[in-house]
Amino acid sequence: MADAPPVEVRALTKRYGSTVAVDGLSFAITAGRITGFLGPNGAGKTSTLRALLGLVRPTSGEALVEGQPYARLRDPLGTVGAVLESESFHPARSGRNHLRVLATAAGVQAARVDEVLEQVELTGAARRRVGGYSLGMRQRLSVAGALLGWPRLLVLDEPANGLDPEGIRWLREFLRSFAAGGGTVLISSHVLAEVAQLADEVVIIHRGRLVTQEPLAALTARAGGGTVVRSPDEERLADELRRAQIEVSAAEGQLLVAAPAERVGEIAAAAGIVLHELRPQGASLEEVFLELTGGENR
Amino acid sequence: MRLLRAELLKLVTTRLLLWLGLLLLALEVLVISLHVSQDSVSSLAEPRNQRDVIGIAAVAALVALIVGVVSSAGEYGHGTISHTFLVAPVRERVVVAKVLAGALAGVALAAFAGVVAWVLAALLLSARSVPVHLGSADVMRPLFGTLLAAAVAGGLGVGFGFLVRRQTAAIVVVFVWLLVVEPLLAIANVNQYAPAHAVASVVVAGTPSSELLSFWPGLLLALAYAVGFTVLGAVAVKQTDVA
Repeated sequence: MADAPPVEVRALTKRYGSTVAVDGLSFAITAGRITGFLGPNGAGKTSTLRALLGLVRPTSGEALVEGQPYARLRDPLGTVGAVLESESFHPARSGRNHLRVLATAAGVQAARVDEVLEQVELTGAARRRVGGYSLGMRQRLSVAGALLGWPRLLVLDEPANGLDPEGIRWLREFLRSFAAGGGTVLISSHVLAEVAQLADEVVIIHRGRLVTQEPLAALTARAGGGTVVRSPDEERLADELRRAQIEVSAAEGQLLVAAPAERVGEIAAAAGIVLHELRPQGASLEEVFLELTGGENR
Repeated sequence: MRLLRAELLKLVTTRLLLWLGLLLLALEVLVISLHVSQDSVSSLAEPRNQRDVIGIAAVAALVALIVGVVSSAGEYGHGTISHTFLVAPVRERVVVAKVLAGALAGVALAAFAGVVAWVLAALLLSARSVPVHLGSADVMRPLFGTLLAAAVAGGLGVGFGFLVRRQTAAIVVVFVWLLVVEPLLAIANVNQYAPAHAVASVVVAGTPSSELLSFWPGLLLALAYAVGFTVLGAVAVKQTDVA
């Protein structure tokens, strides 16, 4: 199934007793891109990803990797690399031995273990017990494990949780280079800002249901992009802007313009209109995110 | 096969076997030296008694049981089971690999315990100038029986650990069962059919005993327990979400 999307979730529902964690969720992601999987805590992200990875059984519906349930993948580690939320390791086992166990089970050559350790910059600590690792080191070890089988797809569940800024930067750069090499990434987070600098597309869920799936650029446009402008020649400016197919609304002696400040300034200058104020406006990405996911709580 | 090798690697990359091995060694040194130093020379000279001296090696079967329980239930405790199932999503294969690894660990522990018991007994007996009969097949019978019994116990422990999936709870249940429940079964006179007695009948390997089944029925029953717990464990593991 070479044409199947890397990840496809179809009408997935997962109930734990009377709690509905995922509620008829459907979406698919595109190969070669970074998709942010967003939603507040408890939205059902982890349940969805665990269903995708065959760790929890869907109540109904399915979650497919390259068109197949995870358990049917011929080479799971060579298809998907997974970094789960708050990964746990045996504290007495060294990082290197942890990877050796995975490599042995997956039939991956032992030399690959040292390779991925190098890749996540953990070689120096590889022979130490994981019990003594910092959170950042554990996260790198998780990433190393995910890379063992040369996967085409990386699935990461809240990988930034508990990481220091340097760790987050490292992870971001790492994922960028993975995607640049043709890999597909699905990364979950409850904080939009964490994936905003990374993702091409976002899938936003809330209470187990899909809220929206759109390119990050579209979400950005929805959020920012707006400009507040004041001008003594307000009416003429509004006309000029509307002629440029830009939405304008007037309020309290100022215009709200659905275009970036640069564009508004250029149009005003071209028409010789004096501006008294030109200020980028609009909700931050985070505010749009909160509105999308918190709307029904109000 | 890959999974079996991975499971064996797991067993040797923590200190569990090392510590339990040392515990076994300490126990054998204590029990055998007490036995040989307290008993009279004439009594020790009897082959039957020398068989009892090295019989302590059978504790290896109990240790194998614990190793088995820890190797399965412990993965749930440490949360490493998710790594395991990500590499091998067909869970019953993991269960089978672990049962085999548990059995092999049991054999290794029993071999270690047997060699220690034999060497120690030989040294201490000759130090007291007791004629040593440790070479006879009849005397060595419990050592060979322990190899088999520990293999079965290791596999049984893995199955039971998968069924319970909580390490501490599983170990507590094992000890309550061994120390309380199974002795109580003697009242109803059915204890010879209980798991530990079945395993013990494999250990004594045909040495006549009033409380135990003879070797073959005992071995078959012990294997049936191991297979039964493995199947129950596999069913439970397949139906349980890994959170």
